[in-house]
Amino acid sequence: MTAEKDETKNTDNLADSLGKESFHHFCMVIQQIAETRGSLAKARLFASYIKTLSHNRSIQLAAQFAGEGAFSNVSGRRVSAGHRTVAVAAASFCEIDYDLVFKACRTATGSASETIEKLMENLPAAISKRKPSLRSLEEAELLFSHLEKERTRDGKHQLLQQIWSEMTSLEIKYFIRIMGQGSLRIGFESKSIINALATAFAKEPEEVRYAHMITGSLASTAKLCKEDRLEEARFQLFQPIAFMLASPIESRSIEDISAYIAEEKFDGMRCQLHANSQNVKLFSRDLNDITNSFPDLAANYKTKNLPDTVLDGEICVFKSDKIQPFQLLQKRMGLKKPSSVIIAKHPVIFIAYDLLYYSGKALFDHTLQTRRQHLHKLAESFSISVSKQFPVADTSDVERLFDRALAFGNEGLMLKHKQSTYEYGQRRKSWLKVKKPGGSLDTVIMYAHAGSGKRGGTYSDFTLGISVKADERYEEEFIPIGKAYGGYTDEELKKLNRAMKPLIVDRFGPTYSLKPGIVVEIEFDDIQINKRTKAGYTLRFPRFKAIRWDLSPADADTLKDVEQLYSQKLNRQIESQQRHQSFITY
Amino acid sequence: MLSYKLEKNHGIILSKASLGLDVSGPVASHVFVSHAHADHLPRDRKMSVIATPATAALMRQRGFRGEVMELPFGETLDLERCSITLYPAGHILGSAMAGIDTEEGHVLYTGDYKNPPSPATEGFDVPETTNYFITEATFPLPIYKWKPHEVLFSDICAFAADSINDEAIPIFLCYNLGKAQEVMYALKDSGLSVQIHGAGYELCKIYESFGIPLGTYEKYDRDTLKTGKVLITPSSSLEQPMVRNIRRKRVAYVSGWATHEARRTQLTVDKLIPLSDHIDFFELIKLCRKLTPDMVYITHTPNPAVVEHYLANEGIAAMPLNLEVRDDS
Repeated sequence: MTAEKDETKNTDNLADSLGKESFHHFCMVIQQIAETRGSLAKARLFASYIKTLSHNRSIQLAAQFAGEGAFSNVSGRRVSAGHRTVAVAAASFCEIDYDLVFKACRTATGSASETIEKLMENLPAAISKRKPSLRSLEEAELLFSHLEKERTRDGKHQLLQQIWSEMTSLEIKYFIRIMGQGSLRIGFESKSIINALATAFAKEPEEVRYAHMITGSLASTAKLCKEDRLEEARFQLFQPIAFMLASPIESRSIEDISAYIAEEKFDGMRCQLHANSQNVKLFSRDLNDITNSFPDLAANYKTKNLPDTVLDGEICVFKSDKIQPFQLLQKRMGLKKPSSVIIAKHPVIFIAYDLLYYSGKALFDHTLQTRRQHLHKLAESFSISVSKQFPVADTSDVERLFDRALAFGNEGLMLKHKQSTYEYGQRRKSWLKVKKPGGSLDTVIMYAHAGSGKRGGTYSDFTLGISVKADERYEEEFIPIGKAYGGYTDEELKKLNRAMKPLIVDRFGPTYSLKPGIVVEIEFDDIQINKRTKAGYTLRFPRFKAIRWDLSPADADTLKDVEQLYSQKLNRQIESQQRHQSFITY
Repeated sequence: MLSYKLEKNHGIILSKASLGLDVSGPVASHVFVSHAHADHLPRDRKMSVIATPATAALMRQRGFRGEVMELPFGETLDLERCSITLYPAGHILGSAMAGIDTEEGHVLYTGDYKNPPSPATEGFDVPETTNYFITEATFPLPIYKWKPHEVLFSDICAFAADSINDEAIPIFLCYNLGKAQEVMYALKDSGLSVQIHGAGYELCKIYESFGIPLGTYEKYDRDTLKTGKVLITPSSSLEQPMVRNIRRKRVAYVSGWATHEARRTQLTVDKLIPLSDHIDFFELIKLCRKLTPDMVYITHTPNPAVVEHYLANEGIAAMPLNLEVRDDS
């Protein structure tokens, strides 16, 4: 208790010299935002905090730590200290047993950082080791850089402990969350941070948002705001910009479907292609440079001698006039230097569906219709493949086009509002995707895992198994096929938590091992081969469809069923593009 | 070793002493009820039990119709095969721990307890030592360490005052018995007028008759609940019209579980006030050290392993009494 009081006094004294630019003060503001309800109120708090900061660099870092992480999104840098490294370092700092004590605590709170904060605050060993001292936001960033440079797990472990020995428990909690890159999980995301910046610097939120799209970074956006240079947020070729994303059609009500145009949704990989006569670069959806994985594509675009151009589109394997299943494209994804054999076996094309930049002119602000007109002209002159668009008058058109899209090897349909501008992120109803689940399986629950965050304190993540009882390759009765953590209602989850109690046979930290007893029908987007799993397959985005209280484990689907589903997908009849065109190549 | 039997999802029977502790029915010669929370009350509402006078009054208010042998704190009652002395448990009004002298040695059974005690109770006291310490451990991990009552009470007062300043009605989500009265006790000198859920209202009268001051309060009434007043109600009413229809409100969740940040989004409340009426991990270990028992039996716990581990480090033997999943044996 006395140690705790000393801690506060100590930092208070130092606060006078360092003022509000300290990392500790940042953490206190963030905690206050976490404890405040409503995104407007949260944004107001952050705005008034930002206004108290005088150094440009502090403002930049405050925005970065609150919304991006230790490093800016576009830097490609990460601290890369694994969850386990952090947790083990914390347990050893607090002198507690990691497996027995730490894991039990994390299960109870559902959050490692919250657990560590409390242990640091409560345990005498942890209190006596810590002599908090104030540091600026810049000094905090330096600590993240040191951690990044430390290559070994042992080194990171040592360094983390050294850093924590000079921090309050609150600083430690947020230091860990910031280290994880991404949101701080306090209900205060990029969108609210942008609004806060707009308020703090009396700018139009749309202007700030635009700067964020162009720079891809909250830190740079904050800097431009502060320096009153938002208008300089200009697009640069070979710097990727954030992608526009589609919302599932189920979640939206559409007033006038004829305001939309349909495109087939290709079963490939989203890609932003930057090109001019000297250079070509390909960027994935998470803004990583993937040019090296597709040298054939890059070479092909280089020969076109395009003026400065940015295209948004899809990479697909295209062979024998057919768009091939995603499973084949997977064989090329992630390869840093694909062999000529692989390239020849799985040739890819780029199908453009949007034009974002052309000859020194950004087109984001133009309507889809206008951008497409420019795209077609460009495609004609430079022989580019472009998605085909289909008018829709009513929902029966959507169904007809959807079925045809599937027959030609596509995933479904995209509906795009003809008057929409290009804006990053999910923008209401501008783009909608129409998809069907890739399939469903009846599985048994094998393990239940304690939920985290919002679901802390309940068992909300489930490892699901399929039967291999009659399979001579396995000795077990069931093997895992995937992990699902959604698709059920709160009520169903409660019932599930009750029903699993009598089935518990073992417990490993936050995980219960269960006797086969509960059957869950899951649906998923796709099946992929994955040699590292016991089943040899993984499901993409598995989720609960229904809890089958009416079925018993004997009714569960088998590995043979999974194999069959996979080969159906791989060998499914795909119609040739000679019969109907999903895209046009000029 | 102590001879005992466990009831599924309920109490413990000390076989040699023929004494039931918070059991469901007349399963032994005598039955002790530690306090008036539902999970400790007998399901049989007509049997005969031993309890403190305050617990007896609360039990009767909650529908118990049987006979209660009222045993005040500090007095010893001699039974056929044991004698029993009650100690204040600091959990809610009337809550008692039982010190039991048996032919197997001295047993201290805690029921639910809190030390330092809630100021809205008779306090906390234990014997010097015991042979068998049967303790609850609702919060059995080192992440649980409660702030002093004064700190939490001033949080409660500040939350009420700030909400009223913003012209919102402060709502405290609390159990009707115990936590509700503790919050009222915290607010008693603030000059604020409290409305309390009907079921809790009747229990307040009993608190006052046993000398616990609760300030100015009245029964919840939709028509008179206006800005400037405070509402105290169980969290189950959060989704009911009673709370839903209040337009300008600020909601605080008052419970030991409020120490978990996840509760904020799970319940969508404005404030979490981690005021618990159970002992925290550190006080529990400290108490075990003081009592130097031959064996600690851990009950009412989601996870006995960590307490066992820490007690083992202190050289104190401990084992779980798993009332939740264990069958009678």
